[in-house]
Amino acid sequence: MTKRPHSLQSRLLALVLGVVVAVWLVTAAVTWRDVHHELDELLDSHLAQAAALLVVQQAGEIEDDDHAVDAPTLHRYAPKVAFQIFHAGRLALRSANAPATPMVADGERDHAGFKTGFKTVQIDGVAWRVFGAHGGERDIQVYVGEQEASRSSILLAVLRGTLAPMLLALPLLALAAWWAVYRGMAPLRQLGRTLAARQPHALQPVALADAPTEMTAMLAALNALFDRIGALMEAERRFTADAAHELRTPIAAIRAQAQVALAEADDARRRHALEATLAGCDRAARLVDQLLTLSRLEAGAAPAAAALDLGALVRKVAAELAPQALHKSQTVELDAADACTVQGDATLLSVLVRNLVDNAIRYSPRHATVRMAVVQRGGQVLLTVEDSGAGMSEADSRRLGERFFRVLGSDETGSGLGWSIVKRIAAASGAAIQVGRSSALGGLSVEVGWPLAR
Amino acid sequence: MRILLVEDDALLGDGLRAGLRQLGFQVDWVRDGEAAERELRAEPYAAAVLDLGLPKRDGLDVLAAVRRAGVTLPVLVLTARDAVPERIRGLDHGADDYVVKPVDLHELAARLRALVRRSHGRPQQCLAARDVVLDPAARSVRQAGLPVPLSTREFDLLHMLMLNAGRVLSREQLEQQLYSWGQEVESNAIEVHIHHLRRKLGSGLIQTVRGVGYMLASQQPES
Repeated sequence: MTKRPHSLQSRLLALVLGVVVAVWLVTAAVTWRDVHHELDELLDSHLAQAAALLVVQQAGEIEDDDHAVDAPTLHRYAPKVAFQIFHAGRLALRSANAPATPMVADGERDHAGFKTGFKTVQIDGVAWRVFGAHGGERDIQVYVGEQEASRSSILLAVLRGTLAPMLLALPLLALAAWWAVYRGMAPLRQLGRTLAARQPHALQPVALADAPTEMTAMLAALNALFDRIGALMEAERRFTADAAHELRTPIAAIRAQAQVALAEADDARRRHALEATLAGCDRAARLVDQLLTLSRLEAGAAPAAAALDLGALVRKVAAELAPQALHKSQTVELDAADACTVQGDATLLSVLVRNLVDNAIRYSPRHATVRMAVVQRGGQVLLTVEDSGAGMSEADSRRLGERFFRVLGSDETGSGLGWSIVKRIAAASGAAIQVGRSSALGGLSVEVGWPLAR
Repeated sequence: MRILLVEDDALLGDGLRAGLRQLGFQVDWVRDGEAAERELRAEPYAAAVLDLGLPKRDGLDVLAAVRRAGVTLPVLVLTARDAVPERIRGLDHGADDYVVKPVDLHELAARLRALVRRSHGRPQQCLAARDVVLDPAARSVRQAGLPVPLSTREFDLLHMLMLNAGRVLSREQLEQQLYSWGQEVESNAIEVHIHHLRRKLGSGLIQTVRGVGYMLASQQPES
């Protein structure tokens, strides 16, 4: 089972609504506390006021013992309010709903037998808020009480007044938030649609009209990626086309020569065609080797580095290639100093040196001189390959190393891949290449410098 | 039939030259763009095989330049560039045919024959004059249905005259079409070959226009 990707829309909606509800709840709690406090203060002060009035009134008037007198019920809310007046311990006056016994039980009275101040008591299972007061010389004790429930109902009414609209608004708010989030995410959906509608190989940059700033970074990164992929694909396409081009010519030559050999009656000419067929095969094979080397190098296979004697390596390569030079009556010279040790992969460095020397021999005329030198100078090991050939124009030497680039007008059959390989290997082994004109021989001079390995 | 081959690759050029010679063409081979342009402007070839990736000057440049200069000879582009836009570009620059390497020699020869045929306004495979029928592909000549054995030069000469039937060709024109570079041309070679052709095919077919050259009459003369 695959995990279902969570929706950004739902997430944003949940966050927005969660925050709104939390703010409301906090607001309600604070309102509850404040209203509760204010209400208590107000109503308590009313109780105290009423008690004080009763005390003052009783101190002046009450002389008789008509304790049976019940105060009339004046208002429909009156049953929620009750009072008692005791005169020297005897009940002198009470409201109709007040009990005959003191509202504050004996045990809760203070040492003088009076009760003053606020007290919350249970009378017949109902909670009352009671204020006691007593008047000085006439020994008057007054209790004024009020049902707690009436306070709660006021409090609830206040809260209902504030919270109910909010609760009603919540679904509407959820809807509005959903819509707002949906609208806000429109550029994302548009990007999704744009990307989905693209051809699989389309690499042109994504243009989104009115892209929000939050998305420009993403779009820029995306377009940069498209650019890179495009460049990569273009390079690959060019390489494939060039490689096909380069392989087609030797194959066409092999085919033509083989057909000539098949139809040729004359022995000498048939032999010539067959030899040419073989030469074509060799050339195709060499080209394939070079392409494979290049593609391996480009795949980024890290060369194994070991300390090796560059002088010995160049001597070996020179020995391999000397017959080619002698065939063209060229002079080959090698001057290799001792202890020129570099870090690198022996196979790859051989390929590099072979390409340089092979180029020098190949592109120099008959009777030319090819000179190789390995020296140590300024913490560097320098390999110089120079020849007395025609050299190279500055424009051409700048283009060296472009795959399949060949100097026009050269008679030799090269693939133009050798330099690409040389450059790759040099880069991989940390060497720097300089191409110029040989001051001693007048032809091309190539200098490769490695850091000296200890 | 004399063909110009423009190919910078030594092995391929050598193979194509040898192969086309085996198939009865006279082949001159040049290896760079500048030489190609010079030859195309100056020498009378029946057709040219042109590679595109050439040293010194690109093949397409050469082609466009000689077309601008009014050179009409059929040009077959033989190249490794196979992309459709390249083919289109090649044909639009004046190529008459576009062939991608590698190519079969027999196919190449057939395409060249077809180009030459069409360039002379002859869509049929065989050329005919009176009772003589020449098949360029089989390199055979029949008269009244019977094969007539001809030497290479005689065949080429008859082929030239039949392609240009009704037109007078000078001795120089015929020599240029028949001989490639380095081939010794005896001063009276054309006369000798004409003489042999008349002996084998009858004297009425090829007419001499005194002081001008030779002509093959395509129509039976009114009698």
